[in-house]
Amino acid sequence: MRRRRTARLALLLIALLCLIGPSLAPYNPLDDVGESLAPPSRDHPFGTDLIGRDVLSRVLHGGRRTLGTAALAILIAIVPGLLVGLSVGYVGGAADRAALILIDAVSAVPSLLIALCVVALLGGGPTQIAVAVGIAGIPVYTRLARGAARGLRGALYIEAARAAGAGRLYILWRCILPNAAPTLISGGTVLLAWSLLNAATLYFLGFGGDPALPEWGAMLAEARSVLRAAPHVALAPGAALMGTLASVIAAGDAPTNPC
Amino acid sequence: MSGWVARRIVTAGLTVWVAVSLAFIVLRLLPGDAISAQLALSGATEGQIAERRAALGLDEPPLTQYLTMIGGLLQGDLGWSLVTGRPVSQMIAEQVWPTVGLAAAALMVAVLVGIGLALGAVFGGPFVRPVAALITLILMASPIYWTGTLAIYLFSVALGWLPSAGSITDVRAWVLPVAVLGLSVAGGLSRVIGSELTHLRGADFVCTAYAKGLPRRVVAVRHVLRAGLGGAVTLITLQAGYLLGGAVVTETLFVRRGLGGVLLGAVNTQDYPVIQGLVVFNAIVYSVVTTFGDLVGAAIDPRLREPQA
Amino acid sequence: MLRFVRRMALISCSMALLLACVGALFVAALLQRGTAAAQPAPTRIVYGLTLLPSGFDPHINASSELGIPLRSVYDTLVYRDPNTKDFVPGLAERWEISPDGLTYTFYLKQGVRFHDGEVFDAFAVAKNLDRITAPETRSQKALFLLGPFERYIVPDANTIQLVLRAPFTPLLDGLAQVYLGMASPKALAEYDRDRYQLHQVGTGPYQMVDYIPGDYMLLRRNPAYTWGPSFYQKDNPAPVEEIEFRFFTDPATRAPALESGAAQIMGEIPALDAIAIARRPDLRLVTQAIPGLPLQFLLNTTQPPLDRGEVRRALLAATDRQGIVDAVFQQFSPVAYGPLSASSPFYEPRVRDFYPYNRDQAKKVLADLNYTDTDSDGVLDLNGQPLRLTMIVPSWGNAPAVAQKIQSQWREIGVELTLKQVPNLAGLLTATKEEYHLVAFNDFGVDPSLLNRFYLSDAPNNLSRVVNTNLDQWLRRATETLDPAERAALYTQIQALIMDQGLVLPIRDYVNLNGYSTIVDGLAFDAYGWFPLLPNLRYVGSGRLGN
Repeated sequence: MRRRRTARLALLLIALLCLIGPSLAPYNPLDDVGESLAPPSRDHPFGTDLIGRDVLSRVLHGGRRTLGTAALAILIAIVPGLLVGLSVGYVGGAADRAALILIDAVSAVPSLLIALCVVALLGGGPTQIAVAVGIAGIPVYTRLARGAARGLRGALYIEAARAAGAGRLYILWRCILPNAAPTLISGGTVLLAWSLLNAATLYFLGFGGDPALPEWGAMLAEARSVLRAAPHVALAPGAALMGTLASVIAAGDAPTNPC
Repeated sequence: MSGWVARRIVTAGLTVWVAVSLAFIVLRLLPGDAISAQLALSGATEGQIAERRAALGLDEPPLTQYLTMIGGLLQGDLGWSLVTGRPVSQMIAEQVWPTVGLAAAALMVAVLVGIGLALGAVFGGPFVRPVAALITLILMASPIYWTGTLAIYLFSVALGWLPSAGSITDVRAWVLPVAVLGLSVAGGLSRVIGSELTHLRGADFVCTAYAKGLPRRVVAVRHVLRAGLGGAVTLITLQAGYLLGGAVVTETLFVRRGLGGVLLGAVNTQDYPVIQGLVVFNAIVYSVVTTFGDLVGAAIDPRLREPQA
Repeated sequence: MLRFVRRMALISCSMALLLACVGALFVAALLQRGTAAAQPAPTRIVYGLTLLPSGFDPHINASSELGIPLRSVYDTLVYRDPNTKDFVPGLAERWEISPDGLTYTFYLKQGVRFHDGEVFDAFAVAKNLDRITAPETRSQKALFLLGPFERYIVPDANTIQLVLRAPFTPLLDGLAQVYLGMASPKALAEYDRDRYQLHQVGTGPYQMVDYIPGDYMLLRRNPAYTWGPSFYQKDNPAPVEEIEFRFFTDPATRAPALESGAAQIMGEIPALDAIAIARRPDLRLVTQAIPGLPLQFLLNTTQPPLDRGEVRRALLAATDRQGIVDAVFQQFSPVAYGPLSASSPFYEPRVRDFYPYNRDQAKKVLADLNYTDTDSDGVLDLNGQPLRLTMIVPSWGNAPAVAQKIQSQWREIGVELTLKQVPNLAGLLTATKEEYHLVAFNDFGVDPSLLNRFYLSDAPNNLSRVVNTNLDQWLRRATETLDPAERAALYTQIQALIMDQGLVLPIRDYVNLNGYSTIVDGLAFDAYGWFPLLPNLRYVGSGRLGN
């Protein structure tokens, strides 16, 4: 319980930092301001990268892009996933079976291929990666919502509501959604973490568009190539990325006390 | 029961068809193709490129190409690579076992570690619990390309215990990739299993509470439980699907051959038939895995079985 | 509840059991296989390749990666000496070129045999030419190396004549490359087009034993080999018996592989890792210059504002190339000054005089053209249009790092550069169909005729979109004349014109950083830079052995 609260606080802090971060940054994240791969110093608390740019400034600027990408991705995944998943899970029947086939079909197309197509059609970049990751996440979330709705289908109170004449929409909105909420939220945070990781991997594979724009996953991937000569370059973006991921995951923990 | 199985097979077939059609459409939307890219680089003229494409049937109308592909699929023919000219089914057959082996071994590691961590996080003593929770968190928050790199530097370069790359016949070369891939999935799995355990633990109290006549909401919690459990099984089978994707990065990092390399290569050279073949393969595997998952889920919760009242 | 825990325990026990079974099966399979891979010969090494080419058939595929192992599996009619770049006899012991440049006569060595025992003669050469020129083969490079090749004549078993439609000076250079290597006609007939690459048979110092696509290729020494070119070591006391080639596509995996003993020789080591390699007592570094085009950015002369020569020249002067090379390539690469690397034949040293780094000069030129920062956003404008340029950046060759360096340098003079990274070649070709100002592209080879593919007005890779009749004329003439002095003069003019017009921003000459374990000695490369002279490797025996 307490862990969840600390996690939510941490998330809030991170979000705040991302919003005002750019104004806190001492240098322009794109400017060559120091020696290449300089170790941490007073001028550069986290050192400089291969191009000579200040790592701290890049991390402060990059948060917006990283979290923005992930937020956009889960939005793309959750909205249709929730609507379609809950509905077909509750309704069942032919619509459910058809939806299942569609979900499985989309899942069967490798997310790498989806990413490539998005990038080829729209160019590379954070938005495009968000779209690719989001599309790949739709079947995941739809399945989750569907599973939750199906499990609740036979509940006594739902039968009671139906007997009382409640319409499907009402039942979905008032009975299914609130009771499925813990699972949905928990699944949602896992999806967010998954999106962040997937987006970072797409940067690693080269779909990032403009390589100069700061973004935590891309910075971490770059840091790999200078790991031996300058391990400090990975410190700031790695801590930022993993810290955010950890907070997201911990914040979505289902309540331990159901009563 | 046999009716259920038959229906699942039909469903699987439909899934494969929809998946490969989706892939076909999306691929045709992409500008350029393998032939133009290859030849432009080696200095061919536009005329020669056009000749080649015509010879391979690439300039026929999309519908014709689509029907040809579907026709081939029904006969078990996955087409030929645009780049190497070899049959796609052969290319997949050559590279499938290392990937499947990697994914299967990683899933086993993931389940073992996941269950262990979950048990530790829920039932462990006051020292074990936060440690298990912390480990779970770290595992969930680490990108594979990063943990893999660190593992290589630690175990291969610094300590020299394990090779950083090696033949797939070398057992030692399997340890790091399986561990890294498995652990990347173990975190999420442990969390899901852990939450199930805590729910169930709570349920005991709920039972007694209900006997005392507590409101409906408490009963609803039990149903949430059932739903959650179904969701848990779903997530586990989904991890299996994710594993095949995670294999791409793992295979690159640890220099292993497998379907990940085939997919990456085909994607980079726009080799349509290979991509389509991989989608078919993936769809079939996916259908098998999810069917299995549904079976397990239905075994756990009778409400999930079909047909539903 | 207890039931759930019990179920979980059951699952974990069965998983553990499954893992143990799989492990046991594995060990059993290992013991049973007894392939060459499981029982290494004492002198076997692992050589790391860096690119996974789409195919490994030299007659069909264009990648230089395939040449690294296959250069030693095949012999060619002629070779180029690694140091002087002169043509030396190979499978042909001497040759004649007709005065009109249309007929090449090759007198072949006798007593040469393929790895499968077949005799090498003019008929074998003919079969190879048939295969390369056949439309069904769909050759991506070999065919184009033959140029205006029309037909062959076989006067007798040891002589073959190649007849061209027009003079083509780069022909000998093409015939010295692995893509025109001579394969056994028996093997070519036995395996169809696509399967041959798995069973390649040549006449070279090493023969192909096994090849599993995407996994590895195994070569074994050919003990009967006595007909090599002059620079192949004749009496190597300790040649390497077997060489296993594996693919390391991710740059960050290469140095660790050397250090952990997973590979004994590795190419294309990233500069930063190379420094660490050089420091280790059990590893050595070999830097090899690669002739051809340097790492460079082509400027699109049809896209404003780069359609103005003064703008292009100003940008070239605003680039601190030494700074880029120092940061990204450490001390391993020389700065490039022209469209050809310094190690290429016919390189004109005076291109160094073009565009020394002079930021103030660049600023002044732009100011003189009426570029001023009217809205104080740090970017120069002209008539309301900001000076914004787009650069297409491939993901390989350190191009992204270089591009970002250029970006930060040009920002200092008020030019805003937007980078568009493309993940692969197909993406790059697509991106060049749209608007762009700069694009990174290059190619390798010894004969400067590869400039034709980039600077002829109708060339497919004319990414600077230049249309210059002088350039066209000179480039064409340079591949027709057989007079070396005339070629030299032409290429001097060509390089001067390209630089004067500011068509290209050269960054660095390619240098391949190779690392190797002290288990071997004598690692050297051929004239083309990429291809190791495997018969000259000596197995010395100290250092760590891989598994």
